[in-house]
Amino acid sequence: MSEFGGMEELLQDFLMESNDLLSDVDNKLVELEKRSEDRALLNDIFRGFHTIKGGAGFLNVAPMVTLCHRTENLFDKLRNAELQLTPEVMDVILEATATVRDMFGTLGQGLMPGDTDSALLSALDAVLSGRMPPPPAAAQTAKPAPPVVPAAPSRSNEPDWNTLYQAVVSAASAGTPPAAAPAHRLTEEPVVVAAVDTNPIATPAVTAPANRTAAAGKTMSATKSAGSSGHENTIRIDTNRLDMVLNLSGEIGLTKNRLTTLRTEILQGNNDTNTLRSLDEAISQLDLLVGDLQNAVMKTRMQPIGRLFQKYPRLARDLARQLGKEVELVLSGEETELDKTMIEDLNDPLVHLVRNAVDHGVESTAERIAAGKKPQSLIQLTAEQVGDHILIEITDDGRGMNADALRRKAVEKGLIDAEAANALDEKQCLQLIFLPGFSTKDQISSVSGRGVGMDVVRTNIQKLNGRIDIHSIPGEGTRISISLPLTLAILPVLVVRACNQPFAVPLAMVREIITIDPEAIQEVSGNPTIVVRDEILPLKTLAGLLGWAPTQKPGFGVLMQSAERSFILAIDSFVGRDDVVIKPLQNIRPKGVAGATLSGDGSVVLVLDMEDLLTAKGGMGGVVKTSELITL
Amino acid sequence: MTDKNLRFLVVDDFSTMRRIVRNLLKELGFTNVDEAEDGQVALHKLKTQHFDFIVSDWNMPNMTGIELLKAVRADQQLKPLPFLMITAEAKRENIIEAAMAGASGYIVKPFTAATLEEKLNKIFQAIHK
Repeated sequence: MSEFGGMEELLQDFLMESNDLLSDVDNKLVELEKRSEDRALLNDIFRGFHTIKGGAGFLNVAPMVTLCHRTENLFDKLRNAELQLTPEVMDVILEATATVRDMFGTLGQGLMPGDTDSALLSALDAVLSGRMPPPPAAAQTAKPAPPVVPAAPSRSNEPDWNTLYQAVVSAASAGTPPAAAPAHRLTEEPVVVAAVDTNPIATPAVTAPANRTAAAGKTMSATKSAGSSGHENTIRIDTNRLDMVLNLSGEIGLTKNRLTTLRTEILQGNNDTNTLRSLDEAISQLDLLVGDLQNAVMKTRMQPIGRLFQKYPRLARDLARQLGKEVELVLSGEETELDKTMIEDLNDPLVHLVRNAVDHGVESTAERIAAGKKPQSLIQLTAEQVGDHILIEITDDGRGMNADALRRKAVEKGLIDAEAANALDEKQCLQLIFLPGFSTKDQISSVSGRGVGMDVVRTNIQKLNGRIDIHSIPGEGTRISISLPLTLAILPVLVVRACNQPFAVPLAMVREIITIDPEAIQEVSGNPTIVVRDEILPLKTLAGLLGWAPTQKPGFGVLMQSAERSFILAIDSFVGRDDVVIKPLQNIRPKGVAGATLSGDGSVVLVLDMEDLLTAKGGMGGVVKTSELITL
Repeated sequence: MTDKNLRFLVVDDFSTMRRIVRNLLKELGFTNVDEAEDGQVALHKLKTQHFDFIVSDWNMPNMTGIELLKAVRADQQLKPLPFLMITAEAKRENIIEAAMAGASGYIVKPFTAATLEEKLNKIFQAIHK
């Protein structure tokens, strides 16, 4: 952070505010494509760049000042109708926006961004002077990822804004029109301009950081992406919420005083009914207050999901344009609130789903017309709170998924055998896309299907204790639903006992609880199973999964369901359900253990990570001999 | 020499910028500063509270700096208030427009505390003459 000595805090403020501003600009740009003459929109966008420029000037971020200034000039011409907004002009604008966002990313890491790629600056100049942008820029925006951007022929027509500003500041009344100033670049040329992939339009910074790291040296910093890399360390909180926390902690303090007094009384032997009733009251009040405090603290971490959603219309628009599709992404429920860390971790999966919907979900305009649909396809991204969960849905009106095609594909790829494939019903077929290595398109397009697949999306959602489901009707569209807990801070668990020790399993995975009737255990290919409502489920003992010797025959089974598989976890007995706060274990990380928590009586309870436990190699994988489970 | 208790109103729609200006004023010893996020809010504050000095950005939504300036000069009560206009533009026509509307001074972004002090001092001198 050395480049901004003493200004880090200011820089953080600037970045947070400017990022929001830029996202707003991005969305207004998408709007602008529909209403290109809208003066209010043009004015707003102009002001956006203007404001960012102003802030960047104070932070001495010269490249950003230069870039914003030119873009701002462009909008000045647009709003004065001196310039027509053609798709080519729009591409240049969008590229400039993406570059500014990249610079935010660099600044976020405490580094000074490198100079803007000269091709972009020349393209802006060309547009400003009424010419079309030169071919390099146009070609660059049309194709997804050309690694090499040709260097611009000349850089000599660039005014040096730094010098200009100095001149203006020291003699403010001089008022030289900036464009007329002769200019020489005082700074050195960047070393490897041509080798840098400054191709933000095809690979918007937030979506594909991986392929933007090829550059070296001075320009390296400029290729680091914004948003997705690194989490924001600051948070904006409504002061009302903070006051609530303060209030509650004050109340808790008072209740603690009450308890201390009562303790003294009781220690002095004063334990009549009144004292004990007061104790009861104080404790139940404390219970209430602590619950409220947890809620209030949780609320301070809640952020509207709109901050995430607002990036996507632009993403969908860029992608649709590349693919020659007409797509409208409609958002709703942006005000729905979610834990801050979850919002950040949701970005990658959602980006993937939006890209998928545009690339695979909806048809090309021609196909849609042939199918008698509206030429423009509609993708809806919605969020709402349902009970104690947040439901996020992405719905398209595209071609839907064909169960047979999915089945065939999975077999072709060798992911499952034909027999297993034929046994799957339509709903189960849809689940096939979550298998690692599954991609429905024969040709992996440059757009989606690059590296990460739906299996990664699902893994990421599961890490957030969430679930993902698919509904699809061939010809009508696909809906992907993600269900997430409100927060990760408090985890509802089921506490069970095995080997005389309590363990907590996440309640989200528990489908039901059954008693294990030894008669009902059947052996299928050497493994114990139980049939529950026509479903053959493998039986695994918790002791076995842990690699411990069982101390008694398990009496109960917990029907666990993860996206991967369902099985019955055999345990000795139950303790109950509880809301716990997971404390990570320091220094040690036993396989299958997510962390520890304290039970009501003060004893330590291990919280199990079932997925991890199931893949553990140390134990016996929970496989036990049927004979061990049945009393002979 | 100047009264460090002068009450400033900093008007800008970008909160980072308000903070920058506030910090610069603080550097110069002026700690009595309030903020407004656009011309309308500023005008409301000016009419309901006492201020000695206005530092305003030009380009803002709802009510721009120049509109605020005109409104201030048109108000019998607020009329004499010193008004420093901040802008990113150094175009001659802008400066003339601000001067004609009655700006006491004009400062171009980005500026340092020293530049700000110089501008403020010029305005103070003009008042005390």
